[in-house]
Amino acid sequence: MKKTILFFSLITITVTGMAQKAVTTSAVIGFDATTPKDALPKAENKTAIASLDKTTGVIMFEAAVNNFAFSNPKMQEHFNSSGWLNSAEFPKFTFSGKIDKLSEVKFNKNGSYKVNVSGNLTVKGTSKAISTPVTIVVKDGSVSTSSEFSIVLADYSVTGGPITSGKVAAEPKISVSANF
Amino acid sequence: MTSKKETIQWLPLICAAVLLISFFLPWMAWGDSKVSGYAMVSGNFFKISEITLGLENPFPKLSFTFLLFVFIPIFSALLIFLAGTGRKTGWLPYITGALSLSLTTLYILFTDFGLGKNLFEAMSPGIWLQLIAAIVLILFVSPGVSLLKKIAWLVVGPVFVFASFSFTKNKLMGETHKNTTDIKADYTIAANELIKEFITHDTGSNTKYSEKMLVVTGHASAVDIAADSVSTVRFADSTGSYIIFSLEKEELEKVKNIKAGDPVSLKGVCSGSIFSEILGTTSISFKRATLNKK
Repeated sequence: MKKTILFFSLITITVTGMAQKAVTTSAVIGFDATTPKDALPKAENKTAIASLDKTTGVIMFEAAVNNFAFSNPKMQEHFNSSGWLNSAEFPKFTFSGKIDKLSEVKFNKNGSYKVNVSGNLTVKGTSKAISTPVTIVVKDGSVSTSSEFSIVLADYSVTGGPITSGKVAAEPKISVSANF
Repeated sequence: MTSKKETIQWLPLICAAVLLISFFLPWMAWGDSKVSGYAMVSGNFFKISEITLGLENPFPKLSFTFLLFVFIPIFSALLIFLAGTGRKTGWLPYITGALSLSLTTLYILFTDFGLGKNLFEAMSPGIWLQLIAAIVLILFVSPGVSLLKKIAWLVVGPVFVFASFSFTKNKLMGETHKNTTDIKADYTIAANELIKEFITHDTGSNTKYSEKMLVVTGHASAVDIAADSVSTVRFADSTGSYIIFSLEKEELEKVKNIKAGDPVSLKGVCSGSIFSEILGTTSISFKRATLNKK
């Protein structure tokens, strides 16, 4: 009898946990390194994978570097080249973090919640701690998140003439949005 | 002895000597890298520019044309010989000067474009000597030649280089990807076969398919349409591994007609695969996709 209760308890916990973890494979990540001298270094990845655990507040993202789509073919090539983000060796960007004050977000109540998320962003094999404001919108059971922040490319060993010459922003803007 | 000394043409001789020596001196400083005039002939120019400025040779197949500039030191040496022995130099000072001004113009334009600032700081003594020697050579070597002709020799090289450089720059900067519908597919494959191939031969499949145009057919497992015209279509196998196409905005109306389970054929550029730690499955993504047929 005890074993049966334990079994059903485990099943219930697992199912509840799964239900609390929302996942999407269509999160959108924008990369904007444009400068007044060059409007080309700008791209979007519309197939990023994201997860949000409503019980623990853990937020994760993964994006294939090579699926950032630039309008200019040369820019696309440079972005992925070994001298830049080296997508052949480091095929994805990842982020793993947590909502700082999870109790402020009511996932069962419609509303817009501004929170802070802290975690580690990994680019080109280098992980750096970041903290960024995130807007969480809850509407009729669905949750969407959006955030904008900047990264310092040099922190991730991305350097070179185009940055020093001002053609590529040293601190590009990153925008992230996901509908769960 | 006295008459021989009087026949030496000192001005072209000195200018040619300066051109010859300065050709091998640093012309530009791109960060820590020094670039001489000879670098263009030896092929190091674009190797260094690729590393330091992120600018590669736009037309590698036309690299041989840069060998033309090897005539700067050759003609300079010839000028030294002719002027030093009192022989006629003919058009040689003009041709040498024009070649030199062409190359210096190219270095200046390239550096200005690549560095974007601090052009004068980047210019090393070699290029200043080259510029001065070339201008003096053209303007003052033959007093009998009209000023108009001299000015024409002064500007012909730089104007040609400026026009070629501007054309190339505008072409490359304004270039966009061709429409997916206009590109012939490199491979046509069933979705489940492609997933299986990536799972069993990850490295080989990434090498084979990355940046290639593929037509993938199968039954859509999910269709996502966001408010801002972003749409994706997925094919998944029984393990949860999947292919995902990010469709062009123009495809939105057509994508709206697709439901999960529908047979669909999509065309796009393969971005390769990643293993998702979040999902524990393989994800194969495509960009610039269009609906091939429903």
